[in-house]
Amino acid sequence: MAKEHRKRDVVVIGAGMAGLTAALYAGRSGLSVLVLESELVGGQIANAAGIENYPGILRVGGGELISAVQTQAESFGAVVDEFDSIVRVELSGQPKMVETESAVYEAGAVILATGMKRRKLSLSEAGRYEGRGVHYCELCDGQAYAGKTVAVIGGGNAAVDAAEYLSKLASKLYLIQRSELRADAASVKRLREHANVEFLLHTEPRALAGDTKLTAATLFDRKAETTREIPLDAVFVNIGVEPNTALFADQVKLDKSGNIAAGEDCRTNLDGVFAAGDVRTKEVRQLTTAAADGTVAALGAVKYLRSLQ
Amino acid sequence: MVKVYSMTSCPWCVKAKKYLESKGVAYQNLDIEEDEAARVACQQLSGDLMVPVITANDKDYVLGFDKAKIDALLGA
Repeated sequence: MAKEHRKRDVVVIGAGMAGLTAALYAGRSGLSVLVLESELVGGQIANAAGIENYPGILRVGGGELISAVQTQAESFGAVVDEFDSIVRVELSGQPKMVETESAVYEAGAVILATGMKRRKLSLSEAGRYEGRGVHYCELCDGQAYAGKTVAVIGGGNAAVDAAEYLSKLASKLYLIQRSELRADAASVKRLREHANVEFLLHTEPRALAGDTKLTAATLFDRKAETTREIPLDAVFVNIGVEPNTALFADQVKLDKSGNIAAGEDCRTNLDGVFAAGDVRTKEVRQLTTAAADGTVAALGAVKYLRSLQ
Repeated sequence: MVKVYSMTSCPWCVKAKKYLESKGVAYQNLDIEEDEAARVACQQLSGDLMVPVITANDKDYVLGFDKAKIDALLGA
């Protein structure tokens, strides 16, 4: 059966801070706005236990913050659909076409706010232990390791945030990072206050072991050039992110790092297609810059749609 | 009755529950952090304490948010 065609002024792809802010601004400008999200509303911050650097808010959970932004966008008429996955997009020409599992959306403008996706652990055996000792969501799976020995792999803010959460559950926690820590000093200081946390810097995992579940990991100390095996019940992987562009990489110009090539005006190489948030070429990727991008992209879309009239 | 073993802070649990609501499926939410009996039942069902766990018959279950598997579980 042919899919129903529906018209929207703006389709926003991605419901993180950039996408939802874009929806808020576009909705407030009187446009019909659909936001499509196939993963988690909130993107990377959906997992964040505590955010302390969003101006005006002392400390807030990522889920709570993004839920407020979603409510705000919806109050201006934006619709957020997190269950209808996108099948394909056609971004050149006018209107733009976004086909989902259930419908074909014709949009005057499209805002790409797909953010970043987490890198998977690049050990060949990691897939075998996924959900059985190799995990990517501490808030979903951490309880299973209460009183056990776990490791967080990574050294950025997300890794340190995960380590702090897990340190309250686990009897012993290793933070394993192949170089120096990149996380904010305040977060690292707070983690160091937990007596059950041991920092293993300049160290990387070389192998995982266990029968049906993970029981140990082999670690390589890059400075001492030594290898050792430690007993481990789980590793939580936070080794960085990469731009989420597979859906449109053949249509939109990307930079050498794979991010969407767009300047501070958020315009891509295609008329009426804007890039917002972490997926765009930029130096600084923060919640505040994502919100700024969402604003700029939405107002750019408003201006573009007016130019068509 | 569909049961969802979950935790308040777990984002995939929130999504799973929203999905059931979007399909008009009534469910019982069982928080494994707050409810010791739910914690035990979750572990007995799935062998672990990872969430969300969704079951319709206390025997077959879906771990995590997987739309196709949830649909199959619900007989959609």
